[in-house]
Amino acid sequence: MELLKASDLVKRFGNTNAVKGINFHIEEGRCVSLLGPNGAGKTTTLKMLSGLLEPTSGSIDFKGEKAKDLRQFIGYLPQYPAFYNWMSGKEFLVFAGQLAKLNRKEAEKRSEELLERVGLTNAQKRKIGGYSGGMKQRLGLAQALIHRPKLLILDEPVSALDPLGRREVLDMMREIKEETTILFSTHVLHDAEEISDDILIMHAGEIAISGSLGSVMEEYRQPILQIEFESQAADWLKSIASYSFVSEVNIQGNKTSIVLKDMVNGKQILLKDIVDRNLPIRKFEISQTTLEDLFMKVVKA
Amino acid sequence: MIQWIVLYRKEMTEMARNYKILWIPIVFILLGVMQPVSSYYMPEILDNFGGLPEGTILDMPTPTGEEVLMQVISNYGMLGVLILVLSAMGVVSAERQSGVAGMVMIKPVPYSSYILSKWAGLLTITLISLFIGYVASWYYTSLLIETVAFERIFQSVVIYSIWLVFVVTLTLFFSTIMKGNGSVAFVTIFVVFAISTVTSILGKYMTWSPAKMTEHTGQVLLSGELDSSFLLAFITTIAIIIVVLISSIQIFKQKELLE
Ligand SMILES: Nc1ncnc2c1ncn2[C@@H]1O[C@H](COP(=O)(O)OP(=O)(O)OP(=O)(O)O)[C@@H](O)[C@H]1O
Ligand SMILES: [Mg+2]
Repeated sequence: MELLKASDLVKRFGNTNAVKGINFHIEEGRCVSLLGPNGAGKTTTLKMLSGLLEPTSGSIDFKGEKAKDLRQFIGYLPQYPAFYNWMSGKEFLVFAGQLAKLNRKEAEKRSEELLERVGLTNAQKRKIGGYSGGMKQRLGLAQALIHRPKLLILDEPVSALDPLGRREVLDMMREIKEETTILFSTHVLHDAEEISDDILIMHAGEIAISGSLGSVMEEYRQPILQIEFESQAADWLKSIASYSFVSEVNIQGNKTSIVLKDMVNGKQILLKDIVDRNLPIRKFEISQTTLEDLFMKVVKA
Repeated sequence: MIQWIVLYRKEMTEMARNYKILWIPIVFILLGVMQPVSSYYMPEILDNFGGLPEGTILDMPTPTGEEVLMQVISNYGMLGVLILVLSAMGVVSAERQSGVAGMVMIKPVPYSSYILSKWAGLLTITLISLFIGYVASWYYTSLLIETVAFERIFQSVVIYSIWLVFVVTLTLFFSTIMKGNGSVAFVTIFVVFAISTVTSILGKYMTWSPAKMTEHTGQVLLSGELDSSFLLAFITTIAIIIVVLISSIQIFKQKELLE
């Protein structure tokens, strides 16, 4: 079932067109990642969905009806969560719960559950001012979940964390996604590949690609040849661009990836070239484009 | 409604944790008590430290109790206002700056509840400070100088509190529309003193001005009678407060709350 639909959503800040009329929808129960480079408009989009930012034009439907105030149904973790540093972790959660219309008892009970879940039970009585970045992020996750939202929106939930912290938050998200629809933004492609069902790739205020992770990968996947040289072979690499079966050559130091239209013939001819010219290769590998390749392609286009 | 109470309780807890609930009333008590004490001891002080030639006969009339209290009100009008504005300047702007205002408004909280809870918190601290300070002043005045009728005290403090409520409402407004705490304080103080100055220069034409509350306070203290122009000033002041509050809420709605 369709949980949320954005139609022709536009946001302008003065002369900047941050979001240029995007359309997408989110199915209930899915975990959707919003990908895009810095400045793509991810945060702006998420803020409009959460009701914190008025769209310049366009509309948002929630469960098939035009949305008025969605805040009751949405849990939001901002890119840079802030707290009252003089409160303890638990106090803040109870406060947030009561603001979301839980009564005091419910808020206390739910806070304890969530503190346990995000691993802050031992720190619950400490002042938030003394929390580490990772602890604040987990507390932010807990406050977003406090009122059992229908849709959890997370803006770059793992970007500021160290590898361990990232692992923890990703594992929590994997658990949460069993109960709640999640929309999260990230520029860490690996994370998107790991836990999302659907992806939206944004670039310069527009949605470039959207769909389920599987179908997008399927549709855009291309055979690719990866060659690693012992020394540079720029001349030869320049010359192969003229072959009709080569569609793209990307050189990164001694490594090169070549997108081929015809893998079967292409690899034979290229391998023969290498042997004929006596080029010093270290690796010759056939593989498929990854989400990262797709991302780079969209962003550079 | 429940959210309003939750937010108001948070305001009060915050003021308790950072001791504002303690030190602002203490400042008002000190300002209030210093006046009768210094009036009482003034002749002695001058005698001992004044460096007057031997044998000079001091002939300083001791001020009446009412005059002492008027001086207290005038101190509140300067230092009291300054302290209140400085302590309230970040009430919204600091929370916007840190981003925590966004964390609150991301929950289904009416924008009016947020602003009005702030306002109620400011009123609480302002009125508590003023009443306690003034009562302390009255006590020392009756102890050292003379007793002033409690009725006059009560009426004058109620009238004066309207002016202070006006001042903190303005502070809340500027704290909502501007981001830097310093500029909030500066602009508020500037506006408050501009209103006071213009009102005292063009008094005849500005009987409606909120700054007239100070004059009415003095009037009630000295004569026990309210001037007939009080009602006009009272109505415009309340009207301005309401308009300023509504504008604060509307402007707050338009502000971008998360970075
Ligand atoms: N309040 C604002 N005023 C003016 N321009 C803004 C404002 N907020 C965002 N922008 C502009 O809108 C564009 C999109 O910004 P946004 O924060 O949505 O990007 P993002 O995808 O979240 O980037 P990042 O990955 O860096 O967080 C940027 O060009 C930014 O400069
Ligand atoms: Mg962002």
